Amino acid sequence: MSKRAATLAASGPVTRVTPTTIVVLAVLTAHVLMVIFPFVWMGYSTFKTNKEFMRSVWSLPTTFSFDAYIGAWSGGALGTYAMNSLWIMAGATLLTVIVATLAGYALAVYKPRWMAGVELSLMAAMAIPAYVALVPLVVLLRNAGLLDTHLGVILPTAAFNIPVSIFIMRAFFVTLPRELFDAARLDGTGEFGIFRHIAMPIAWPAMFTVAVVNMIWVWNDFLFPVVFINSPARKTLPVGLTDFVGEHITNYPVMLAAILIAAIAPLVLFVFFERQITSALLGGAVKE
Amino acid sequence: MTSTSRDVAPKEQTRAALLFLLPAFVLIAVFVAYPIVYAGWLSFFQWDGASAPAFVGLDNFLRLATDAIFWKSLGRNLLIAATAIVLQVFLALLIAYCLVRIVPFVSRLFLFFYLVPVMVSEICIGLLWRFLYNPYFGLVNASLKALGLGSLQRGWLGDSATAFPAVVVVMSFTYLGLYVLLFVAAVRNVPETLYETAEIDGAGHFTKFFSITVPMVWDAVRANTLLAIIGSLKTFSLVFVLTNGGPNHASEVVSTYLYKAGFSSFEMGYAATIGFAQMVLTAAGAFIIFRYLKRARGGSER
Repeated sequence: MSKRAATLAASGPVTRVTPTTIVVLAVLTAHVLMVIFPFVWMGYSTFKTNKEFMRSVWSLPTTFSFDAYIGAWSGGALGTYAMNSLWIMAGATLLTVIVATLAGYALAVYKPRWMAGVELSLMAAMAIPAYVALVPLVVLLRNAGLLDTHLGVILPTAAFNIPVSIFIMRAFFVTLPRELFDAARLDGTGEFGIFRHIAMPIAWPAMFTVAVVNMIWVWNDFLFPVVFINSPARKTLPVGLTDFVGEHITNYPVMLAAILIAAIAPLVLFVFFERQITSALLGGAVKE
Repeated sequence: MTSTSRDVAPKEQTRAALLFLLPAFVLIAVFVAYPIVYAGWLSFFQWDGASAPAFVGLDNFLRLATDAIFWKSLGRNLLIAATAIVLQVFLALLIAYCLVRIVPFVSRLFLFFYLVPVMVSEICIGLLWRFLYNPYFGLVNASLKALGLGSLQRGWLGDSATAFPAVVVVMSFTYLGLYVLLFVAAVRNVPETLYETAEIDGAGHFTKFFSITVPMVWDAVRANTLLAIIGSLKTFSLVFVLTNGGPNHASEVVSTYLYKAGFSSFEMGYAATIGFAQMVLTAAGAFIIFRYLKRARGGSER
């Protein structure tokens, strides 16, 4: 009731400090802390020794030891996994960005009658769980000699990420004024010339946006790499991490350091490219 | 002639459109569409993945029809969807309203934090939560003990009564941020004047939330609900790393069941059947819901 009076009394918009503000702030702060606590805990626990960890699992470290990182990295396995993840990430992202840019452009600029059907098929493809295709993909990749290779992960991963990436690119291309294209057509520029010389030069930021989210998705992907790759030397970081954790079950700080190493790349990307990532998630998920 | 190009696409434009779409078409056809059709075909075979597949007619489908584990797994996927609508979509809308309308000065910072789990691999998140749920030194048990509820302590992921709810809790924490982001954008687009008018009438936040925000962002609610349902049917990694469907199938979902059938028991034909059936059932469900919604909407408008 007092809250209502306070709202009435003040006339300026939004930012007013009322009892409601304080209560909401307190509740949300507590909730946010719960959401990020596991990551914060992971961060500070990696500086403990195993002995200290076992003595007090959840408290802050009293000493700063880098033994966990040395222990995690020393076997060399994590480095190999990280390189594998990097290759697959680069390959799948590059392929997805190129293919999605072309298709997203077509979807935004050309309106033949069948385009609605294309759009609907792409939306249907987005709803299909990847595991439905799992067994047939194993057969397909084996017949093509691509099972247990990086290319064998790159191709299906890109194929499953392309539909949503197309919609993100389309969301960018529809913002371009049509007069731009029509004027070029009047000048006698061909369709490919228009794409190459008018659309492409201003599409780089959008392509970069698609690239960043795909890098995160591919880096974190688990289902395809765990099924398609068997050789330890070719495994990706999330898959290798599950092996690593099984082997280091007795040394928790080392385990946590390994988890942190697997988690850090997407977090760094997020810190640097927050704006691009959020705009991509908004552009791809919220369709009119 | 060229000025009407947006309506009547000339031949050259149609050709260009087809060529631009071709690479996407090829990749999706080969690695998404064809495997699904092939899964349907494999459903009629018994196959260990190595020897020659043996045609068994409808045997796989008959087995599936009476496979309690499959139906319970599918039921859990739907339960995940239902909880996601409440614990992810609705909760996110509430948080988004608070961030935009009540504490805008922290909205950017908090949104950043909410998005952290969305960025990190589900494998990492699952491994971290295994520490929180640890029966010996886990934070969940320690907190219960501190609150004097020590009798409730248990091995959350290893107990068949709590394994599935424990997984669902992790999911809500993990994916919430995506919906907060989507709703913050939607809530920001609600015209300020609507709130001002309501405030003159003495409306509190409760009234404003339910009678202005919710109706105004209803499109986003629908889109996000759909997104949550699709995500819930796709779920794999978190379940895999937290419980792998156990103990004794107590937290099994369709994806983990398929994975085990195909790649632990090497019943490739049956695994294909599980996936294919899941997709057909989902498509049928979606079709029925859309028809029903269409009819309901048509009925109310006329």
